[in-house]
Amino acid sequence: MTPAGAGICFDGVGVTYPNGVVGLRDVSLDIEPGEMVVVVGLSGAGKSTLVRSINSLVPFTSGEITVGDVAVSGLRGKALRRLRSEIGMVFQSFNLARRTTVLNNVLMGRLYAAPTWRTMLGLWPASDVELAMQSLERVEIVQKAYANASELSGGQQQRVAIARTLAQQPRVILADEPVASLDPPTSHVVMRDLQRINAELGITVVVNLHFLDLARRYGNRLIGLRAGEVVYDGPGADADEKVFESIYGRSLTAEDVLDTPARLT
Amino acid sequence: MSAAVSMSKPTEHPPPAQQRPVRPRTWWKAAAVLVVVAAVTVWSAIAVEVDFGALFRNAGNASRTIGQLLQPDYSYFPETVRPLLETLETAVISTAVAAVLSLPISFLASRATDPSTPLLVAVRFVMNVIRSIPDLLYASLFVTAVATGALSGILALVLFNIGILVKLVSEALDGLDRGGQEAALAAGSGWIKADRSAMLPEISPIYISQTIYVLELNIRASTVIGLVGAGGLGMLIDKVRTFYQYHYLSLVILEILVLVVVLEFVSSYARRKLVR
Repeated sequence: MTPAGAGICFDGVGVTYPNGVVGLRDVSLDIEPGEMVVVVGLSGAGKSTLVRSINSLVPFTSGEITVGDVAVSGLRGKALRRLRSEIGMVFQSFNLARRTTVLNNVLMGRLYAAPTWRTMLGLWPASDVELAMQSLERVEIVQKAYANASELSGGQQQRVAIARTLAQQPRVILADEPVASLDPPTSHVVMRDLQRINAELGITVVVNLHFLDLARRYGNRLIGLRAGEVVYDGPGADADEKVFESIYGRSLTAEDVLDTPARLT
Repeated sequence: MSAAVSMSKPTEHPPPAQQRPVRPRTWWKAAAVLVVVAAVTVWSAIAVEVDFGALFRNAGNASRTIGQLLQPDYSYFPETVRPLLETLETAVISTAVAAVLSLPISFLASRATDPSTPLLVAVRFVMNVIRSIPDLLYASLFVTAVATGALSGILALVLFNIGILVKLVSEALDGLDRGGQEAALAAGSGWIKADRSAMLPEISPIYISQTIYVLELNIRASTVIGLVGAGGLGMLIDKVRTFYQYHYLSLVILEILVLVVVLEFVSSYARRKLVR
């Protein structure tokens, strides 16, 4: 049913913002189809820029990104929307429409495919509604389908956001700090959801995190960014204190971990 | 997982000696503003040659008029029913038409929902023109161009209402949380579909509440625009005033008062229910 995950290739990608700030500097990476990659770095290191350049929410200014067999640079209009329809995105602040139902929010994952007149009238095809319900079942929150998004807790909202990406039947899921607004236990629920989706559906998953314990635990592959450059690329389990200190450019503090230090040491 | 990351407990430092800032003195700014406002007011009064003496010279006239106004003639009520209904109908029809037209225009007039700068500028320019003409002027224009009666009143109010509604709703759109829209666009949706599914649900309580507010405005406005011949209670007011029938006039004023109070009660109740 779901097409297999797509590979993502960065070839000498640079991002310079209009105000002159450099977001990424000559980044070259190969992410295999079906891989789960965690990107770490301090805020401002370019994590968000890296993730958002993949679906062109942030346009890159040099190099080339290839998703599957599609070159991202220069994509506009329909072609860009088609690429984005194959890439789900999860945001730090959930980005749900709060005054409408959970089901309607998940159906937004189907907007690319839906005809405009149906969207205007709110008449979703039964097949899309079925797909949305299945997506909600996969993150175990289908009982809230007709509740308003604003009635949900933060963790529930983020699972709805994940269901919204699943409704796209995506080949890639990008998650930009998906647990930064959540408490520790809920963070693990959301990360496990992403891990399970990656394992069961073979969707390529790229996650930004800033807690190093989460990064090591969920990153089969860990990419460390510092000042817009890749400074580490390897298995999460191999990344020790030294590695993180080189990524962060300073010694570690209690703020860098999600769970209590007692559980780590 | 290996316990490679060890945490050192942050060491306790005594708080460094800090200097508290001196509280800024700002009363003279308020005083300056007050002086300027007072000066402008006095100057305006002198410039338009306000003659307070007239208040006292014509006191006899005023007391006679007020005396009559305080004794409404209720027997005139049957004559007022038809214009009263016409005022209500004018207000309701204009509100409905304006509300339908304003919704899409509001989306075109907000930076948050309209990505095209030329379109945005064009729509805002037209809306500014529409808003700069007062309702009474619209009414007298339509009375001249169309005919006296309710149709002119409706046309005038529709334009007046579109000006208000588009302004209020598009500014509310500007201030809305755009997370849902961002997610929809990231999922490959176009702007129209993203606005419809992510922004419309967020704006609808504000839109409905402003529409009720405009209905309230219309009840008042439709009495005023009647004065220039656009139908309803205003036309009746014009008639009885011309013949100095202040007993009748006070009944009409009383009716408007009741209408406005009832409507205000209903609309504030409805808005409380809507915007939670």
